[in-house]
Amino acid sequence: MPKHIVSGLKYLAAVNLRKKGQTQKEIANALGMDRSTVSHYLNGRNISRDSIEVAEVVIEMCPKDSLLLTYTLLKNKERTRTIIRTCQNKRYDGVIKNSCIGCGLCVDTCLVKAIVLNDLKAQIDFKWCCGCLICVEMCPTNSIEIKEVVD
Amino acid sequence: METTEIKEGKDITVERTGEEERKLLFKDPLCAVCGLCETICPVSAIEVCPTGAMIRTEQDTSKIEIDENKCVLCGMCSGICPFQALDLQIDGESIKTMVEYPQIIKSADIDELECIQCKACETACPQDAITITRELPKRADLITGEIEIDKDTCIYCGMCEEMCPVDAIDIAHQIPSSDSPVVATDIEVNEDTCVHCGICKRICPVDAIRQVCRICPYGEYEIEVPEVTGTSYIDPELCVNCTWCQEICPVDAAHVTKPFEGELTIDQDTCQACETCVMVCPCNVLSFPKSEKAGSKPEKLHKDERFCIYCGACEKSCPVDAIDVKRTKINYSPTKSKAWVKAFESLKN
Repeated sequence: MPKHIVSGLKYLAAVNLRKKGQTQKEIANALGMDRSTVSHYLNGRNISRDSIEVAEVVIEMCPKDSLLLTYTLLKNKERTRTIIRTCQNKRYDGVIKNSCIGCGLCVDTCLVKAIVLNDLKAQIDFKWCCGCLICVEMCPTNSIEIKEVVD
Repeated sequence: METTEIKEGKDITVERTGEEERKLLFKDPLCAVCGLCETICPVSAIEVCPTGAMIRTEQDTSKIEIDENKCVLCGMCSGICPFQALDLQIDGESIKTMVEYPQIIKSADIDELECIQCKACETACPQDAITITRELPKRADLITGEIEIDKDTCIYCGMCEEMCPVDAIDIAHQIPSSDSPVVATDIEVNEDTCVHCGICKRICPVDAIRQVCRICPYGEYEIEVPEVTGTSYIDPELCVNCTWCQEICPVDAAHVTKPFEGELTIDQDTCQACETCVMVCPCNVLSFPKSEKAGSKPEKLHKDERFCIYCGACEKSCPVDAIDVKRTKINYSPTKSKAWVKAFESLKN
């Protein structure tokens, strides 16, 4: 069931956010949950092993599928970007070519709100980029290049 | 996020709502069908309809078509349009007011201090964009004299009334009756209207009018000529910066900056004198010259490049490619976007 996968994703995000030192209240706010539910999840209660397994698969899928599935389940850009950013550990980098006309299509398309326009040129905040490449596909002038950073 | 197109009459609105609200507005009546939007569009979303047909016949369709499936609302068409026909608005604000976007540098102003309200510009403006209002002094303020009608001598024949060029004489005519056996009861002169021309005095068969003009005997200096006051207005939406007002103004009160510079060439041999370009040109650059005398053959098509803004509408409309418009300079404000600079520069040839 979709809501079980959502629970799984929120569980994974909650655990990761806790590791980063966030309080239960902060986690609850970021993921749109009750603080008590966060507490249960962090103590391994009220969450099935199956849901967590499916959520792990969702995160491991190719970035575009992973993002679209998560966004379709959550229907909320803020929570989607939080879950994707906290659970996915890949990093990306890239360039915007001078052929960018500043149409803003990428800004509107980016589900993790990583792109802004600056002086008629797109600017990607790679702290948030999840490598879905939707912007690359949409760009009418093929001005975006994004690559995964491999250590 | 979705791009939608709304047509209202011949006007078009293309809209995309996402992180920001982008709206491209096309106002059909302002479009001169120059085709610059079609040329600059980076995604080939704009198609200009066949000009000759658009101009010559009353078509129900818009002069351009915008494919909402292709349009990415970048605003380049709006940036280059020299006629205010296209405007991209982001969150309700026109990109024509945003510093990051390059702006076509063009202007037209009338210096109120220099303007003498002669209305030459208003008459010449090919877009009817200029309105001059003026307040003229009363005629009576420019003249001085005296007029008096001796009502006892007057026979109320009405000759003075009929001949007065400014209708300053008014006679109370009537059909005589036994009670009042006269053809008129009174005669009045409106001294505010009277210009003391003396016609009434000269036509009067019974010498009942005494009139004297004081201007001539005392010379020109008797009267202080009142000033003509007024205002001038150029409609920024209609103005095409053609410089007609600047060229025709007798006192150099109008100042215009054209958006483009260039060269206009007509191949008189190829031209078939179909008149499409004459009808299309928003600046009245082109005309058919009249034959000087019987048997003489004037040039087919006459141009006066002083008024040309090199928009290219004539070239685009010519069915036999007899016109060549070369743009050598596009005046625009600096931008950091290399793509926009490249696009603007690509319109030079």
